[in-house]
Amino acid sequence: MAAHALDVTDVTCPLTWVRTKLALERLQPGDELTVSCNPGEALENVPRSAAEAGHDVAVAGTLVRIVRR
Amino acid sequence: MSDDRRSFFRAMVRSAASQAGGAADEVAATAPPGLSDEEVERYSRQLVLPEWSEAAQLSLREASVLVIGAGALGSPVAAYLAGAGVGRLGIVDSDAVERSNLHRQTLHYTPDLGVPKAESAAAKLRFLNPEIVVEPYQARFAPAMVEAADLVVDCSDSFQTRYEVNAACCAARTPLVEGGVAGLSGLVMAIRPVESACYRCAFPEPPPPGAAPTCAEAGVLGPAAGVIGSLQALEALKLLAGLDGALLDAFLQVDLSDHAFLRVAVTRRAGCPDCGTL
Repeated sequence: MAAHALDVTDVTCPLTWVRTKLALERLQPGDELTVSCNPGEALENVPRSAAEAGHDVAVAGTLVRIVRR
Repeated sequence: MSDDRRSFFRAMVRSAASQAGGAADEVAATAPPGLSDEEVERYSRQLVLPEWSEAAQLSLREASVLVIGAGALGSPVAAYLAGAGVGRLGIVDSDAVERSNLHRQTLHYTPDLGVPKAESAAAKLRFLNPEIVVEPYQARFAPAMVEAADLVVDCSDSFQTRYEVNAACCAARTPLVEGGVAGLSGLVMAIRPVESACYRCAFPEPPPPGAAPTCAEAGVLGPAAGVIGSLQALEALKLLAGLDGALLDAFLQVDLSDHAFLRVAVTRRAGCPDCGTL
């Protein structure tokens, strides 16, 4: 399974999740995407939205690791 | 639709409009394969939806939609489709803006009085979304126009045109969203010719001449037209993006005096003169 990285620290809601969502759409099931988020809104919303979309999610510091469903 | 086929049909539309007295701007659009950063930002509030995706957005960008009528229904339809990112919008209307239009035809303003509606609408749509191509046709509807389109939205205000549009879309197998409004009531129907019932399957015969009041005769409250046009735009987006829940094999009858929305199931008719032999 491939690992990918995405930095959304230069954008705000809703683009934080939009960019993450579009990146996930380009991956294969089981691929991992590590998203660098700013503390606050992004770090709250990106993992929550990813979980609501059915992906496996883990947060470590400001990094959100998402395994595409 | 292939590029060659698309170019051929676009030339045909220009020819049909030219014969009818209209003209179309020639605009070349070579789009990059993915969404640009600007597009992602512009469409972020729909991209964020679970039902939406980059693929859905790209399918809109690649689509050519013909809106027949730039009046009470055509205004919200064209505005929402332009805003949503439909790549090419053709706007067909032979009339000019009149003062009595302004209470409901939201793409036209008082300084537009006397301006052809297709041109007036196109100017606003280009302001709304300069990323897309808008082609105004100051012309009456001609059947050849639908060949250029991936989808047609009928926002005309006469039964004669409605039946002509349905027949043309069936013959060309072009998906169609029908709509109509009068007073506080309206109707919306999505059609995929051959796959679903067409407008004539649902309504085999037009009302006899003089029996059905036109919008101009019957009057209409602006927001009622806005609701019906918005529903048409929504159905168009569903068909273009392949979303579930389109009003196929059904029409929605809306009575806004008491907010009654009735979905009426319809089936294809074997003897339908428009789609029965396809």
